[in-house]
Amino acid sequence: MNNRLEIKNNQMINASLLFFVITSAQIGVGIHGFQNVVYDSAKQDSWIAVIVSFIFAHIVMFIMIKTLELYGGTNDFYGIHIDIYGKYIGNFFNLIYMFYCTFAFFAVCKNYIEVIVTWVFPQINSQFLYATLFIIVIYAFTGGLRVIIGVSFFSFFFSIWVLPTLLFVLPYANNNHLIPLLNDLMGIIKGTYAMTFTIVGFEIIYTLYPYVKEKKKVQKFAHLGLAGTMAGYLLLMLLAQAFFSGQQLTKTIWPTLSMFSIVRLPFFERIEIFTICSWMMIILPNLCLYMWATYRGLLRMVKISPTKYAWIFSILVIIATLFVRSRAEINMMNNILSKFAFYLVFIYPFVLFLLAWLKKKMTKSKQQVKQP
Amino acid sequence: MKKPTLIILIFCCTVLLVGCSEERILERLSLPTLIGYDVNEENTEITTTAVIRQVSPEFESRIEIQSATAPTSKGTRIDTNLKTSRKLMAGQLRVILLSENLAKNGIEGALHTTMMNSEISTSVYLAVVEGDTKDLLEYQFPSIKDIGQHIFSLIDQNVDERLTVSSTVHEVSRDLYSPYKNTVIPIIKRQEESIMIKDVGLFHKGKLVGKLPSKDVFYILLARKDVEQGTLELLLPKDGFDIDDSKQELQIDKLPIAIDSLDSKRSIKIVNSDTPEFDLTIKADCRLLEIHRSVEISKMEDLKKIEEAVNKEIKKELERVIKYGQEVGSDVFGFGDYYFTHTRNPHITEEEWSEKFKNMKVNIKTDIRVLRNGVFE
Repeated sequence: MNNRLEIKNNQMINASLLFFVITSAQIGVGIHGFQNVVYDSAKQDSWIAVIVSFIFAHIVMFIMIKTLELYGGTNDFYGIHIDIYGKYIGNFFNLIYMFYCTFAFFAVCKNYIEVIVTWVFPQINSQFLYATLFIIVIYAFTGGLRVIIGVSFFSFFFSIWVLPTLLFVLPYANNNHLIPLLNDLMGIIKGTYAMTFTIVGFEIIYTLYPYVKEKKKVQKFAHLGLAGTMAGYLLLMLLAQAFFSGQQLTKTIWPTLSMFSIVRLPFFERIEIFTICSWMMIILPNLCLYMWATYRGLLRMVKISPTKYAWIFSILVIIATLFVRSRAEINMMNNILSKFAFYLVFIYPFVLFLLAWLKKKMTKSKQQVKQP
Repeated sequence: MKKPTLIILIFCCTVLLVGCSEERILERLSLPTLIGYDVNEENTEITTTAVIRQVSPEFESRIEIQSATAPTSKGTRIDTNLKTSRKLMAGQLRVILLSENLAKNGIEGALHTTMMNSEISTSVYLAVVEGDTKDLLEYQFPSIKDIGQHIFSLIDQNVDERLTVSSTVHEVSRDLYSPYKNTVIPIIKRQEESIMIKDVGLFHKGKLVGKLPSKDVFYILLARKDVEQGTLELLLPKDGFDIDDSKQELQIDKLPIAIDSLDSKRSIKIVNSDTPEFDLTIKADCRLLEIHRSVEISKMEDLKKIEEAVNKEIKKELERVIKYGQEVGSDVFGFGDYYFTHTRNPHITEEEWSEKFKNMKVNIKTDIRVLRNGVFE
């Protein structure tokens, strides 16, 4: 294991910050419309599907951290790959993961800009919006990991005000939309699968782990972060289910945003316009963390400065956005991504853990054979 | 120049330049606050009448009424835009009026157009107009300056007072897209020189099927959900009361009373899911607001007597309103909603339910308590 990361103490982050990193990495664009997607299969039990999906996420998170702990906390996902598979195959797997991160980055900004173009500026050239968005992302990214973590921290507090405004929705709620419970188990399973696109983001722990100061507290705060996200998602799911009737919910493209549209504050007529714009603060850590994750992988192959990398990466993504244009194409892209993410985030960690564990056993027994 | 400075500069520029992307200057816009839809007899063309407010920096804002006819509502918008000097923006829309004719033919179309447009908020009120909306909007009311704002306030404050039902676009489309629930929309009408919420319209699958006068709205609300406040006027049968009516002031043989602050709790139980048969229990606390001065109310027994009569009367009225709903086939009370969510796998289709609804039995129990009266006995 000679590919250890050497991280100076001043680059490390506190374990407690993981809570904010995990929540802000998970909450992104999926939250706008996940109720619709989940309701399609799980019907009135959608909120149960949300809980079930988070139970899986907790298990996966546990396995992920266990895998990283096998390497003593000095190696990340990419290093583990190289250690297990060797340089070439390992880097090939790294490339797949980097491609996934890039894809996720692309999907986040594509979906967000689609919302802006639909609700706020129907006539604006979306490339202009990408350019503005990426300038901020580059600015945060070149600041280094600690700045990215700072952005995540602030993004959490900038977005928390959104929840109280949804209390205005309560008078319109109808609890009958939530029963009868547990009607269709197959539907719940399908709904759980449909949560994938919304729930992913916590795999950032794979790359972030070596940078955490107190390794023992990682499990605690990472799981707390997941639980925090679940609370938010569950609330939004229950509200949307009570607020919309069944068919109406499946016809509403972004239920979370449509719910805002009924809120009418005395000093603010259309709060959803403001929410959509301020949502940039929420997707910013998403974008930065994915960009950073790909950068960590690339560093294992070529030496490149962060600034140069950020520009090349952004320009490539802007070019890619030219090829996905209509809503139908975006939906197709989301489906592909969620399939991809399901295998990579929910299935692959178990395989990796098994391999890492076997490898460790073998090297240990080899050493034992050599020693006497 | 140092790099961070450069980035900050670019950042500032982009922030400031965003304002130029799609400018919407208030003085160059006209804002429709109310839109009315009419259809012709054959249901082929839509006439849109819009009440448009134009903000001007020097004078009071102007109100303009424009109407246009075209096969689609977007077409009427183009026509209207051709008639106004400023760009139309629908973001300030408060009320959508539908003519009775259109309501009878189905409101889905008009509603779908509204829901699709992200500009229009879902908290816009819907109302049906008896007759044509164009005639109502173009009538010169001497006391109403801005008819758009007037109709919005009219509906809004009556919804707050529980004198009519809330029928925002969201609520109506929620009921419409729910297979076993029907919606209610207030019906307004011009009466001499003013506008009045005269009736409430009962819908079945987006089509107007029946009407109840506004004074019955409270019974619909009572059967529908918990009501925190509201006022009710009742005509109790006179007999049984100890009335000191020596001056013969009470001409009619009914005793009118008014109660308010009704804080009601509604609960439903399915007794028999085949017929189906429901138990509807309404519990409420209220305050005696008005009663003829000749009736003695200082004693405990007197109040009990009044309570009993009130219970009986509310029960009778509820039965009548629910019966009417059954006759026209409009389940605005939420029985279907309850039935489908509280029976596992009911195995009946929408059509079967409509039949069942017409034959269902409702046993009403009321428990109304008069907690207090005014400051003078």
